[in-house]
Amino acid sequence: MMKDPFGGIILNIAFRVLVPFSIVYAVYVLIFGEISPGGGFQAGVALSVGVVFSRLILGEDAPFNISGASALILAGIGTFIFVFTGWISVLTGGHFLDYGKLPLRMEHVNEIHAMGILSIEVGVTLCVMATVITILDAIVKRSDDNGSA
Amino acid sequence: MQIYTIEAILLLFLIFITICIIYSRDILSSVVVYCGFSLCAVLLYLMMGAPDVAFTEAVIGTVTTIFYIVALRKIDRWCK
Repeated sequence: MMKDPFGGIILNIAFRVLVPFSIVYAVYVLIFGEISPGGGFQAGVALSVGVVFSRLILGEDAPFNISGASALILAGIGTFIFVFTGWISVLTGGHFLDYGKLPLRMEHVNEIHAMGILSIEVGVTLCVMATVITILDAIVKRSDDNGSA
Repeated sequence: MQIYTIEAILLLFLIFITICIIYSRDILSSVVVYCGFSLCAVLLYLMMGAPDVAFTEAVIGTVTTIFYIVALRKIDRWCK
């Protein structure tokens, strides 16, 4: 946790106005990643920007804060979602990440493909977001331990 | 023809920014100028028809700038 955050009145107000929009935009990028530029990686980094900014600007009393330990657990959950989606199709008689074999009741096979890709992107998003937060946690902890110049 | 001119200007700008980053004595200004490098790279990727790569570059440029500035709290700003 940062001992002396970067905050000031301009940064606080800009944080309150900008971060909700950035989070909504990240969810849009995640959902529309198949038919437009974007995808899990970009959405994950854009989601983590909210947490990173809140930790940098507000310091100890950040409103939505994810600590380093729970970020590691979240990264594991994201990886698990990815691998689990891959193994479901193996269990139903296909190859790894064979979206056509997913046990979903849909009219068209393209819809099953879209659902499979979406669930994998959700896993990638969680993993990337938690990893960026963990990197920030490591940098901040090291600079707090040694004192700032 | 005009698009090639703009691409050439952007490429020259990239080289100029890189030389500025290398020879700057102030590390904080190097980090801020690196943001401009990222912006020029984003425009170049867009012109070359790779919006996905451009999006990734924009996002990574933002986050690495934050990381560099947080890491700068530990070390001295001026290089001797």
